[in-house]
Amino acid sequence: MAPVLLLWLAVCLSGAWAVDRGNFKTCDQSAFCKRQRALKPAESPYRALLETMELTNTKLTLQLINDNNKVRLLLELYRLQGNMTRVKINELKPLKPRYEVPDVLIREPPTEPLSLLSQDENGVVLSLGAESQRVIVSARPFRLDIMEGREVVMSLNSRGLLAFEHLRMRKDTFSYKVTSTVASVWDNIKRVFTSQTEPEVEKNEEADPANQAETAKDEDKAVDGMWEETFKSHSDSKPNGPSAVSLDFSLPGVEHVYGIPEHADDLRLKTTDNGDPYRLYNLDVFQYELYNPMALYGAVPVMLAHNTHRTTGIFWLNAAETWVDISSNTAGKTVFGKMLDYVQGSSETPQTDVRWISESGIIDVFIMLGPTPTDVFAQYASLTGTQSFPPLASLGYHQCRWNYNDQEDVRSVDAGFDEHDIPYDFIWLDIEHTDGKRYFTWDPHKFATPKEMLQGLKDKKRKMVAIVDPHIKVDSNYKIHNEIRSRDFYVKNKDGGDYEGWCWPGNAGYPDFTRADMRDWWASMFAYDQYEGTMDNLHTWNDMNEPSVFNGPEVTMHKDAMHGDWEHRDVHNIYGLYVHRATAEGLIQRSGGTERPFVLTRAFFAGSQRYGAVWTGDNAAEWDHLKISIPMCLSLGLVGISFCGADVGGFFKSPGAELLVRWYQTGAYQPFFRAHAHMDTARREPWLFGPENTALIREAVRQRYTLLPYWYQLFYQAHRTGYPVMRPLWVEYPQDPATFAVDNEFLIGKDLLVHPVTEEGARGVTAFLPGKHEVWFDVHTFQKHNGAQNLYIPVTMSSIPVFQRGGSIIPRKLRVRRSSLCMEDDPYTLYVALNVQRTAEGELYIDDGHTFNYEKKEFIHRRLSFINNSLSSVNLAPDAQFTTASWIERIVILGASKPSKVIVKTTDGQESPVEFEFDASMSVLTLRKPGMNAGEDWTVTLQ
Amino acid sequence: MFFQIIFAAVFSGGLVDARKIRGISSSYKRFYRERKSFLCIDGSKIIPFEQVNDDYCDCDDGSDEPGTSACPRGRFYCTNLGFRPHYIPSSRVNDGICDCCDASDEYNSHAHCQNTCWNLGQKERAYVEVQMRTLDEGLRLKQQLIEEGVLLWREKQAQLRELQQVAEDLQIKLEEHRRRKHEADQLKEQTLKALAAGDSGLGRWNRTVSSVFQLLDSNGDGSITVDEVQAKVSFVHDEEQILSEEEAAALLGGGQRMDLIKFQHTLWEVLTKGDNVKIKDTPSSPVGEDPHLQAADKAAEWETTNLKKVEEAYDTVNMEISDLQKKLAIDYGTDWEFLFLNSQCYKLKVYEYTYTLCPFNQVLQKNTAGTEVSLGMQLNPILPL
Repeated sequence: MAPVLLLWLAVCLSGAWAVDRGNFKTCDQSAFCKRQRALKPAESPYRALLETMELTNTKLTLQLINDNNKVRLLLELYRLQGNMTRVKINELKPLKPRYEVPDVLIREPPTEPLSLLSQDENGVVLSLGAESQRVIVSARPFRLDIMEGREVVMSLNSRGLLAFEHLRMRKDTFSYKVTSTVASVWDNIKRVFTSQTEPEVEKNEEADPANQAETAKDEDKAVDGMWEETFKSHSDSKPNGPSAVSLDFSLPGVEHVYGIPEHADDLRLKTTDNGDPYRLYNLDVFQYELYNPMALYGAVPVMLAHNTHRTTGIFWLNAAETWVDISSNTAGKTVFGKMLDYVQGSSETPQTDVRWISESGIIDVFIMLGPTPTDVFAQYASLTGTQSFPPLASLGYHQCRWNYNDQEDVRSVDAGFDEHDIPYDFIWLDIEHTDGKRYFTWDPHKFATPKEMLQGLKDKKRKMVAIVDPHIKVDSNYKIHNEIRSRDFYVKNKDGGDYEGWCWPGNAGYPDFTRADMRDWWASMFAYDQYEGTMDNLHTWNDMNEPSVFNGPEVTMHKDAMHGDWEHRDVHNIYGLYVHRATAEGLIQRSGGTERPFVLTRAFFAGSQRYGAVWTGDNAAEWDHLKISIPMCLSLGLVGISFCGADVGGFFKSPGAELLVRWYQTGAYQPFFRAHAHMDTARREPWLFGPENTALIREAVRQRYTLLPYWYQLFYQAHRTGYPVMRPLWVEYPQDPATFAVDNEFLIGKDLLVHPVTEEGARGVTAFLPGKHEVWFDVHTFQKHNGAQNLYIPVTMSSIPVFQRGGSIIPRKLRVRRSSLCMEDDPYTLYVALNVQRTAEGELYIDDGHTFNYEKKEFIHRRLSFINNSLSSVNLAPDAQFTTASWIERIVILGASKPSKVIVKTTDGQESPVEFEFDASMSVLTLRKPGMNAGEDWTVTLQ
Repeated sequence: MFFQIIFAAVFSGGLVDARKIRGISSSYKRFYRERKSFLCIDGSKIIPFEQVNDDYCDCDDGSDEPGTSACPRGRFYCTNLGFRPHYIPSSRVNDGICDCCDASDEYNSHAHCQNTCWNLGQKERAYVEVQMRTLDEGLRLKQQLIEEGVLLWREKQAQLRELQQVAEDLQIKLEEHRRRKHEADQLKEQTLKALAAGDSGLGRWNRTVSSVFQLLDSNGDGSITVDEVQAKVSFVHDEEQILSEEEAAALLGGGQRMDLIKFQHTLWEVLTKGDNVKIKDTPSSPVGEDPHLQAADKAAEWETTNLKKVEEAYDTVNMEISDLQKKLAIDYGTDWEFLFLNSQCYKLKVYEYTYTLCPFNQVLQKNTAGTEVSLGMQLNPILPL
């Protein structure tokens, strides 16, 4: 085992400090991508057979025919509740069923009736209900146009790139000959028994797979890689032959598209004309490169398109390897060129064209019609669910390293945090804590008494995360392996035996997480009596769940491995989600369904937000990696996954003190805040860089903890609505094009603007403060700045620029303690930042921080609003019940003027004066100890 | 102004009974004498005294809230009666975790803290006792080492002195032997000179020539014949080979016989050269060694050998002295308590390496294959100790 690891490391390390691109396919090396990309925009061979149209209450169905090969497809068109359209295209009569991704949609999306507006031989027009929205189905060639009024919102197949590789028999094999012979015999018999040759029959005949194969002979012969494909030393047997699907979308008026994570690239997606398409294929990429479209650990096939008056989304529900091409008619034009177009009036409408290509499955697209960014978030959330509501502690700081070596190491790191007075909530154990990489076990020497260790942490109100990966050591003395084997739960290879690959433990099997019974069993393994040595403060981390297979093609599983009836090809991108899900369910079950789980995953798919947090994988201690953490997490937030973070400090290599401090300052303002490090790097606990840097890191972590109430409230909102926690500026300022490509700063919620310092030796940054009518208050100095400007801010090492939006109220807890749990009953300080109208609004959410009782209405949710010199707290959830010991300790009003007196009025009608201080230089009014309980109604009036 | 206030606070406060202020040590009590107002200890602000420990932070230095968690930079004093008192950060007051053994930090929390100070104190005292015992034992051992060290030191010093005495003696001997050798050499030289002087005298010369002539002239007829030469003269390199008549005749200058006068100028010269022929049963050189010279030569040789022996002994002793002096020059601690380490070696096995550490001496690393590498000298092992 050790030699294997060493060998692997040696192989990896020999390749210098960068990804070995040659280990991963380009589009050209991926047969279906090459094949599909060879198709150029032209008139589509597909034709809608309007006579086959059926319109029911819930959907419209219609057959499409490919005039080249006579293969028929079935189009299903749904109008979904919440302003969405679903377009589903499958073969009318596939040779065998094609994979339709299950378990991603939280329910069958509820439909709304489509009504037929008009119909002729050229097509049909259907109403999408409100706001004069219509969908036009054109027959020849087939295309779909979604219109609002006279404006085209989105067109499908407008460039004729709909392609659907029908399943077929292999012609050079014996079975093909038999089948085709039998089929033609059967056709003859049918003809004999049919009195008249109905068009229907003939069409069916055309759709017959065997005949299709015949007619499509030329296609087959033309291209290699349909029935077998090799990459490096790996061959893919492809017993089902070609099965790719592709469709193009045109977005008139759109110049900005976002999403389709995970890529180490800018927030705004680039055009792909001059390179590879963006690739979605979950891969364990060793030391990924930045600013390119290569696939990474996770895939969410969701793209958002935005312009000043509309935001839309495309959700391509397909779990196979997928490539996304983006082109634009304005790309490459300079600003001057665009201006010239405008002046000359000759400008065509800017348009972005997108093309999705997947290796197998069907076309199942959800078109989210917005029209606002929050509408799109809500629409996507209604399909795939929202961010799981994390336990409050998991929003604190996480201290991780590969590896904390033994219990003594854990104890001393824990003590180090106390000694240096730095708060933290979770300490993490990587793979070395196990007994020989056998997950669910502990190293008998280094972690001989795990419960003792966990109790020690619990005594300090802290928690632990231990890793559980989905590859299982093949070892007949290992309970987990024996049980999986005896239940026949392993993924199978193409020959029907258990699939085996190399990973950390050496030879390993991969449980088939696509099976519900497998997931149930896996979940049961987290029970306290199964997973020995665990307690309720131990949570879980799923790594390597792409799945990572060291000796597999592209470091992952062979595509012809089998998950029941389905090939790995069909399910690849959803495998990691299933691992994450089964683990999260295990943690819920072990508590009897009461406790919220915390599970971190590396691989993800659409819907992964329901199961916990993700991180951006194995980054490096480089300034560019710090910088890229912003667009990477922003992109994830746009597609529902709010609980995102990057390894603070960088996983590979050792950061210098400046980079480490800057990374802590950035990470403290990103949703998932965890420091992590590779085994080969020097230790880097926060106090190892001299007292000055220790103090800087302490301050960064403390800022995070003071803001926990705000983070928690935002996660509650994300859980309720699907709105991202960490947001690109354009989401809140959708009409300001200046915000559309900004990804060097971001918003937390809508009220905090953060501009991390990501340049070495920076003495200042230029932050863009959005909003023509906004004012922004520097949270460190309380200085007020106007919106809609680029502001140069000098910086020192002490902090990064953070601004609170005028018009907002942010609750903080300023008594930073050892861990979040220690701060439970602490009082709040409300930061009221007044806008130009001298008003402000905010929320306060409180619950027990760790159970599902909030679902039973055990929480406090209040609206705080400042208007007419009066700040009041109003219950937003009168039917909810919860009590808190927390009270309002202090109210800081930014941009205030000096009152003569301040009165607080509580529920019982009692009025009492409040002492205050006024700092005239900064216009900051501080109300001293108003003292109301945080759960009550109250009003504070400035007179 | 501030000083006046502090002055006033400290001294006027003394007249009023101090209320029990939570979280301060007795040395800070003077800042918290109850009166109308409280001056933050850093002098930054004056607040009403009711605002001391009222769970709201007024002073930047946190001094108004020594007993609550309100101030970010505050500290709380655990009195810990029965154990050691100490400060904790204010953030640990009422956080649900027992930090002070007297439970004083959790006066308003869910934590149920026991006063464990007495137990801790007991343990601490027991521990200190053990520590003391260990320390005593250590001191005793050290004393022992010092005593041993002193003894060893003295022993070495004595040894040094002894050696130095021996060296002095040897020095005297050496001079004596040098003198003797010198004399013997001189004697030998004189003898050689005397001999050389004798050789140049005609008597010795003639006697010698005539005595050899007589020796060869077997029949005593006053002339040497071929037969006589054949009988008495042989080749230097082969005594057994008899000279042929021609060879013998050649030695006689080509004739059959020769008289003394002719001999002196021909054969005598050949014989004295001695590199070709010689008189049988004699050394090649016909000139016999002088007994006086032989005696003088032997005496000189004897004295040289003796001198060499004494010189060697002297060098050895000096080397030992310098070795000892080097060792004695090392710092063995003020009381020579580390002297015992000298000449000791310690071995440590780390994976495949065995390290041999000899304090004040070599450090070696030896791997399992037997390759030895010197890691240098450890000249001052006292510092790390």
